[in-house]
Amino acid sequence: MATIDITNLCKAFGDGDEQVIAVEDFTLTIEDGEFLVFVGPSGCGKTTTLRCIAGLEDATDGSIEFDGLDVTDQRARDRDVAMVFQNYALYPHMTVRKNIGFPLRLSTRQSSDEIDAQVEDVASMLGIVELLDQKPKELSGGQQQRVALGRAIVRDPEVFLMDEPLSNLDAKLRSTMRTELQELQQDLGVTTAYVTHDQTEAMAMGDRIAVLNDGQLQQVGTASEVYRSPTNEFVASFIGSPSINTFTATVDGNVLDGPGGFEYELANSGPVDGLDEVRVGIRPEDMTLESEGSMPSHVTVVEEMGNENFLYAEMGPVDLTARIESKMHPEAGMAVDFGFEEDDLYLFDVNSSESLKTKTSETDVEYEEYVQADH
Amino acid sequence: MRSETRTEALWQFGSYIFLLTIVVLVLIPLYWMLVAATIPQSEFFSWPPRVIPGTQWFANFQALQENVNFVRSIGNSIFISVSYTILSLILCSMAGFAFAKYEFTFKEPLFYFILATLVLPIQILIIPLFLLMVQIGWTNSYLAVILPWAANPLGIFLMRQNMKAIPDSLLESARMDGATEFQLYYKIALPTMLPSLAALSIILFLNQWQAFLYPLVILQDPQMYTIPLALAELVGQQRVYFDQIMVATSLAVTPIFVVFLTMQQYFIKGILSGSVKQ
Repeated sequence: MATIDITNLCKAFGDGDEQVIAVEDFTLTIEDGEFLVFVGPSGCGKTTTLRCIAGLEDATDGSIEFDGLDVTDQRARDRDVAMVFQNYALYPHMTVRKNIGFPLRLSTRQSSDEIDAQVEDVASMLGIVELLDQKPKELSGGQQQRVALGRAIVRDPEVFLMDEPLSNLDAKLRSTMRTELQELQQDLGVTTAYVTHDQTEAMAMGDRIAVLNDGQLQQVGTASEVYRSPTNEFVASFIGSPSINTFTATVDGNVLDGPGGFEYELANSGPVDGLDEVRVGIRPEDMTLESEGSMPSHVTVVEEMGNENFLYAEMGPVDLTARIESKMHPEAGMAVDFGFEEDDLYLFDVNSSESLKTKTSETDVEYEEYVQADH
Repeated sequence: MRSETRTEALWQFGSYIFLLTIVVLVLIPLYWMLVAATIPQSEFFSWPPRVIPGTQWFANFQALQENVNFVRSIGNSIFISVSYTILSLILCSMAGFAFAKYEFTFKEPLFYFILATLVLPIQILIIPLFLLMVQIGWTNSYLAVILPWAANPLGIFLMRQNMKAIPDSLLESARMDGATEFQLYYKIALPTMLPSLAALSIILFLNQWQAFLYPLVILQDPQMYTIPLALAELVGQQRVYFDQIMVATSLAVTPIFVVFLTMQQYFIKGILSGSVKQ
């Protein structure tokens, strides 16, 4: 198990005019035994970062250390890192047994009996013992996934790297495998870096989440931190589903004036003091239907999800999404008013997109207190 | 609906008749070759032609053997073709792997240069090659026949095209599992390329088996003759030994049949592989 220190990592592809910077000045520490998820839109540099940790890409600048040992210039095979690829990368000509045993046969001097025993251990842990003598092409996607995991686990590596390992599975299997992966990682306690573009997956799985955009690290934190206290508008809009509603409003003392008749009086105008304009963000789940709210809107579409309804509405030129109770189903074209609590309001700087105010609502409610309160 | 199936059936019947005609046309000379190998030369031009095999095969073979030591030629041909095929497979697959999966300076120009050599006719190369072999002192040796053509440009091209289909992640995964670059080649790339290798081996083997001009120039000692050279010996200025030629050719085509029939499934698979994204 290892602590991974990434310092000022840069990775550029090509040179001269055609140079593309994939990762820029990236500094991050992944703690020993931690499950860290890299998340971001495609092309944000998350996979490149992972490949630099793996040693499959040479860093253009900066350093990567495992437990204080500089591995920046080490080859992939010397790093003691195991990786699970998006397409599983199983060796098509080998049986499952050979696939899982492959790294052992290459890197250790164990006898083939010892290797076989280890392969069987791993296979029984993953529930694929009966598949050991089959070839990868005979397996389903989920089974292939397990074999790929088995091949990574069997070496007992310092670090696990996973590059969107669940993205080729169907939705149901994906959520089962998600839980299994987490349990596995907890049991093994191996430092894990996991790449995904799916923010739900990131939120559900990671001990901490690293949000990337345009090759730059935006924020690192727990799911709750990146959701409640995003450092900038990008993180706020990337994390959370459906995505946060944002628009620009003018500041007049402690009153925010926005498009389509939006008007809100701040109880605490501290964050917007001295500003003329501000970006306003309200999460769909924080919006409530009110008789006289601050957001007069027209309903455009209602999506019934069973347990809740998604309401798409227009407030002047601004498109809004609200998450409302399933018993409420206003019709398209209806005029509605939305309100929200100031605690749940996000404010971002117009120019820098940095957060001025994030959620301040309570998070640490005691169980006793909660069950006694009237819900 | 019914008339449609009838037309279809008629079409099918017609195409079978057509194919059958072609098969017969192709087989007649082959059959005649087998028959002619078993009859004395005196009956060769008799009319109507013989269709039933005779009993002269062994006598014809003995005459052939006394005339040109054909057994030795078969041995030469087998040794040269097999070792050439193996060596060439190794070189072509290695070069193909490098061209498909590695980045290096002048990779593209080098590859196109190799491709360009495909258009050079063998006749242009024969004299310089001969002079080179004389200088090295390799004339009349197996090595002189095998080595100059071992890095086959067509083979390199085919292997490169096929190896491109190996997903990068497969090699990267093996790299992370601790494989050296050479292990990537022979533990991952080669086994996944077996059908293509089989197809290429047929092409290489046949090329060498039927090679005539270059071996003719470089091998002067009759003891070193390959089958095509021995066959050519039988066509003399005074006389053509038709009976012996027929025995010799029937023996010469046998390995081609064997190789092709055993490998044809790979041949077809190999030619098609990589043509369609799966």
